[in-house]
Amino acid sequence: MDIVIYGIVNSVTLALMALGFTLVYGVCRLPNFAHGSLYVLTGYITWILMNRVGLNYPLSMLGALVITGLIGAAMYQFILVRVRGMAISEIIASYAIGLAILEGLRWGGLKGGTFTLPPFIEGSVDLLGVSVDFQRLIVVAIGLALMALLWLFVTGTKLGLALKGMAQDERAAMTLGIDSDRMAVVSMAMGSVLAGIAALVLLPLGNIVVEAGYNVLIMAVAVCIVGGLGSWTGAILAAFVIGFAQILTIVLVGAHFQVVVALVAIIVTLILRPSGLFGQQKELEERV
Amino acid sequence: MRCKLNSLFAVLAVIGLLVLPLSKALAEKPIVLGAPLAMAFLYGWTAEKGIKLAVEEINAAGGVKVGDQKRPFSVDVIDTRDLEPGVPVSEALLALEKLILEKKADFIVGGPVRSEAALAAMPLLSKHKKVSILTTGSLTPKYHALVAENPEKFKYCFRISGEAKWMVMGELIPCLEDIGKKFDLNRLIIMVQDVAHARAGGELLAKVMSEKGWQVMGDPLVFPTGTTDFSMGLLDAKKKNAQVMIIWMDMPESAILLKQWHDMKVPALPFGVIIAAAEQPGFWKATEGKGEYCLGNVVNAGNVPSEATPWTMKFVEAYKNKYGLEPEGYGASSSYMAVYALKDAIERAGTIDSDKVVDALKQIDIKGVYGRTRFDAKTNQVIPSLDPEEGAVGTVFQWQDGKRVVVFPPKIATGQILLPPWMKK
Repeated sequence: MDIVIYGIVNSVTLALMALGFTLVYGVCRLPNFAHGSLYVLTGYITWILMNRVGLNYPLSMLGALVITGLIGAAMYQFILVRVRGMAISEIIASYAIGLAILEGLRWGGLKGGTFTLPPFIEGSVDLLGVSVDFQRLIVVAIGLALMALLWLFVTGTKLGLALKGMAQDERAAMTLGIDSDRMAVVSMAMGSVLAGIAALVLLPLGNIVVEAGYNVLIMAVAVCIVGGLGSWTGAILAAFVIGFAQILTIVLVGAHFQVVVALVAIIVTLILRPSGLFGQQKELEERV
Repeated sequence: MRCKLNSLFAVLAVIGLLVLPLSKALAEKPIVLGAPLAMAFLYGWTAEKGIKLAVEEINAAGGVKVGDQKRPFSVDVIDTRDLEPGVPVSEALLALEKLILEKKADFIVGGPVRSEAALAAMPLLSKHKKVSILTTGSLTPKYHALVAENPEKFKYCFRISGEAKWMVMGELIPCLEDIGKKFDLNRLIIMVQDVAHARAGGELLAKVMSEKGWQVMGDPLVFPTGTTDFSMGLLDAKKKNAQVMIIWMDMPESAILLKQWHDMKVPALPFGVIIAAAEQPGFWKATEGKGEYCLGNVVNAGNVPSEATPWTMKFVEAYKNKYGLEPEGYGASSSYMAVYALKDAIERAGTIDSDKVVDALKQIDIKGVYGRTRFDAKTNQVIPSLDPEEGAVGTVFQWQDGKRVVVFPPKIATGQILLPPWMKK
């Protein structure tokens, strides 16, 4: 039973880490390699708002999400728009921004293991004989709720439909009057906020460290490659595949092999189905 | 009026006489200490603080007497990043070489911090004939074993901080045996980080404790650097009814392990042989007290307040005055002492010539922050002891009510080990 429960927790954790990345790529085909740094940045902003500015926890979280969303939007508006459509330049530019953020945080003295956010609810509960802390249950609840809300947003709102239209066919969407750059700004802001939400629910489980930015990026990229770049359904499914594979690896092989799981999953996917579980980008080449 | 002027001149003359020797010392060419350190990690920044505190004190007192000159110390710190995941050893070597060739360091103090990098740096130090005193991070016994094997080649390599073999055999095991006897505990689980010193230490500990009649619950559980979820390991500890949980991790994420341990109420006493996250004074606030009862090792006395020697609390107070908090952990007191040891050796050698300073360092015998400080003649390793009158003592502390209380060795203990309430029978 512990494999099932912690498998679900781990899978939702991975899905949370990847949602923002896959949203941005799905809408504007932009691989946002600053995703991990936005995750860490949200954690530090929340910590600063709480401990230095003196705001309460909910307001600090809200403030951090707003700031991260604005930073994401500004990243596109002022930098990434200039390299839009040039895949390698997009990767280099976004990765450089991410590096600047992470190393800037480190340079600013935010290092060490003493920066933490409090859990939403303290304590743990025995679930079918397995001890789980409340924060992990909150991670699962928020993760699932976020997935449902995103689905409702994309299928039930005008803005969501516009984003979906962009994701399906940018040129066709533009002929219908959808502003491509505006949608890209919106998707970058939303992707950054999603990275921020992931940080706010996951960081209370541990501490805020700069290095987490690199790990989150690797996991988000792994989930998106396995699921199929740009596919939300694929990303969620891949998160569950990798999440359970990691937990099984810890139990059956050893904890130190868990980092290999995501990398093996990427390699296997690229060999057997380069477009991923639900990806469409390379279907033609695969058929050929 | 004239009388007042005379008095003023007299006062100025006295001040001048007092300040002149000092300013003369400061005007001399400084002795450059190169400090290659992993600055994003505790063992790096504590070492920097320790070194700079000692340099400041020595310079304020007039500097180092080199023959008939008084010369100040200056420090050049370089970030080796060698504790960061994925950073190759070659980065640390490049940083070290930069200190030697570009910054013209006369001596190396501090790191490299990761054992693998420190070992790789040894031939480089020999090549440039640079005396190096290792003070932080590197615990591998291989370091001083190599010095013993190649005494001529590696004569410039000293280590003034502890090393893993003594820590395990001389401190940890006696401490564990005390805990076992006192609380009737004998079931052990070992969790280590996937790095050389931790894996080797974990395996050694498992072997020795099995021989001593403890039940060791399987092989050490190895977690990759950067792990953020230890649930499965903790559930394993709970299922196997482990009573003591050895942790050997220098990554900051080890704080997560302790938070999870507290939330899951795992009935095993956490004992961090190396647990960087729990060493720092800020750990209590960061975990909101969830790390209470965690035992930690800070390698050398002085990294947690105690009365090991008369110098210990003087160092702690000076550190607090300068940096606003108690010494944060492993690397602080040893780095501070390394600078004083160098000063002592240079003054006795009367020169900064490497070979002569090596000879003087080998003869050193001072009562420092963590006890009698001498180097083993064959290995250049500081001689350890459980008694500060005899050698360099370590420190095992326990978090109790927001404070780091020294519980081992008995000669310097300031309190007794306590069990968490959910472990009491």
